[in-house]
Amino acid sequence: MNGRLIIRTIYCNFTRKTPINHDVFSYKPAFFGVFANKLSTKTETKFVEKKHCNVGTIGHVDHGKTTLTAAITKVLANDGLAQFTSYDEIDKAPEEKARGITINAAHVGYNTKLRHYAHTDCPGHADYVRNMISGASQMDAAILVVAANDGPMPQTREHLLLAKQVGIQYILVYVNKADLVDDELLELVEIEMRELLSDFGYDGSSVPMVYGSALKALNGDESELGVPSIRKLLDTMDKYIPPIVRDLQSPFLMPIDNAFTVPGRGTVVVGTIKRGIMKKNDESDLMGFGYNIKTTLSDIQIFKKSVPEAVAGDNVGVLLRGMKIKAVETGMLLCAAKSFTLSNHYKANIYFLTRNEGGRKKPVFSKYSQQMFSGTWNIACRIDLDPSMHMMMPGDHGEVYLTLLEGMVMTQGQPFTIRENNVTVATGIITETLESIDVPKGKLGKVIMRYN
Amino acid sequence: MKQKLDYYSKMIFQLVRSLHTSPVCRKAESSLLAKLRKKTGYTIANCKKALEMHNNDSDKAEAWLNEQAQAMGWAKATKLAGRTAVQGLVAVKFDKNHGALVELNCETDFVAKNEKFHKMIEDATLACFKFAHTSLQSKGDITKMELDSEQLGNLSVEGKKLSEVLALFIGSVGENAILRRAECWKANNKEVKIAGYTHPAPAASGDYSAGKYGALLAYKQSSGHEDIGRQLCQHIVGCAPKKIGNKESDKPNKNSDDETCLIYQEYLLDPSYTVDEVLEQNKVEIIDYIRFSCGESVENNMLGVEKQPLDTVQTLQ
Repeated sequence: MNGRLIIRTIYCNFTRKTPINHDVFSYKPAFFGVFANKLSTKTETKFVEKKHCNVGTIGHVDHGKTTLTAAITKVLANDGLAQFTSYDEIDKAPEEKARGITINAAHVGYNTKLRHYAHTDCPGHADYVRNMISGASQMDAAILVVAANDGPMPQTREHLLLAKQVGIQYILVYVNKADLVDDELLELVEIEMRELLSDFGYDGSSVPMVYGSALKALNGDESELGVPSIRKLLDTMDKYIPPIVRDLQSPFLMPIDNAFTVPGRGTVVVGTIKRGIMKKNDESDLMGFGYNIKTTLSDIQIFKKSVPEAVAGDNVGVLLRGMKIKAVETGMLLCAAKSFTLSNHYKANIYFLTRNEGGRKKPVFSKYSQQMFSGTWNIACRIDLDPSMHMMMPGDHGEVYLTLLEGMVMTQGQPFTIRENNVTVATGIITETLESIDVPKGKLGKVIMRYN
Repeated sequence: MKQKLDYYSKMIFQLVRSLHTSPVCRKAESSLLAKLRKKTGYTIANCKKALEMHNNDSDKAEAWLNEQAQAMGWAKATKLAGRTAVQGLVAVKFDKNHGALVELNCETDFVAKNEKFHKMIEDATLACFKFAHTSLQSKGDITKMELDSEQLGNLSVEGKKLSEVLALFIGSVGENAILRRAECWKANNKEVKIAGYTHPAPAASGDYSAGKYGALLAYKQSSGHEDIGRQLCQHIVGCAPKKIGNKESDKPNKNSDDETCLIYQEYLLDPSYTVDEVLEQNKVEIIDYIRFSCGESVENNMLGVEKQPLDTVQTLQ
């Protein structure tokens, strides 16, 4: 009797559960499809790791940026997710040198339950721009700190302008010192902030605002505006800033690191796929140094094993149909057919190193021609300043036009450096691809610029 | 129709929301506060205090705020006085016989980009320019007046002392600012001309500009030649010579890149000539020059990364 009961309960539970499982299958077939896809590549381990995210604080000097940063580390340190960094340590962070550029910035790292954050705090506009150009960290989001008793200051406009300029898409507002004022004033600060954000093209109505007091949180106050406000801010960051995922949708792109011949088979190029998915027998273009060669991917190998496809992040060797080894040069780019065009003309954001950083002593004018280095290649390049700038001093940053001797493929955000007599004098990132420009008889000095 | 419906529903929603979150009367007050703040730009806390003191009479509150601004500015300025300010701008204004070069410092370059800061330095430069017109006279070709922060603060613009204007500015942006130094020049005879330049230079060259670097130049040029005063100023800004140099007593440096005498430097706009050759071609005689680089006077006394002990310097990568 007893045994029958047990068998029956098991049976009932079993039958009751299976339909639910079926439901999941039928509702989310796509989900399972994707999951299976992920299993088939080596990147599987990446999904277990915490996602990385770069954030920064901007705001008026007295509104509590540093206190907030210290409070975040303090709150998370109690959970064992960060190391407490005191106010003084952040405030008096020694100057850093990234790619030879001196940057006045404090970098603090911490974890939430979901993500790992790298937090940057720079004192000035030029520091943020230098930080961006040197690629020390591209900020994904910014926390704008505003004190409730002051409200937005005249220079808050400049802070937002900077955020736009360095390409920050997501802004969160932390209204600090909220314990000093009443609700009415908080409401006013919120209204003013939302208006200001909308003025600069951010979605003012949906930008999250968190009220609190960083100082209270730093002192371990557990009331609403203390520690919980920091937790709320961190939760909001986890939710509001979308995870930065590898771009698998775009057509694939792979810079060539190396190439060799396999006797009897053909030419193999080696590199790391930057974005997209590469499939066997895909049509593709091999581009760079003025050449654009059509080819087909006859075989893709990851660690000497043939695979039907490879995704962004994979290091692969690709056998190209009918390719001669002589045609391949390091620094060329393998990309999906017709997804890119060659160009020798680009717009870029550039920073000239100061003399102390090993840069030039004299200013730079238009028609400045030097060797440019990017990724694994280098090429002769001419720099023309924006027509509004007459000259650029070492230590200046600004928009410039690049003209390369040969057509190359460069993507937005690609970093490069300019070297003169084997010394780095400038570094920058590409901001825009422009239409190719004629280089008469291979002489960069004779190029006629067209500014738009 | 649908738009209208949308509009109404939004209105009703907002009404309900405002009823829900705060009493109607409070809403009116806070809009008064919002208006006052938008109009005056003083901090929220001060605006609220002003309204409270004057029973929500916004005109009276505004008058009171303007009255108090000077005192509050001074209070803020005194409070912030010790903080280092090395960012900012250098501005120049000149005509044929007069010139003024002024440096105004602030704490962050964000503030240096703000309109209020631009207005502030323009006011200061105009005051100095006016000061250069006063009857000061000394021997020689030009009269040079070097002003420090205190002397600068005592100059007046539109009946107000510059130090008062500065205190107002500090009260408004809540950041320390210092009128660092200024040069007021006056040519004592008609042959002497004055030119100025700042970098980054504005697209249209005028008699006033502001930037990170600036230079004033006094020179003599015989007529019939192209006026190269501005170009020479640009050279001075770009190449930062330490002195004009004398052909008899000074020798050119072996490495032309390290040359600090103006006359031996390669001319910036055409490196195939030296400045001396350019001067001769254009029949120019340089009498004096001065170059300001924003923040240099303070930075020289501060520890830079290259002066820090090696183990405190972090490196990335």
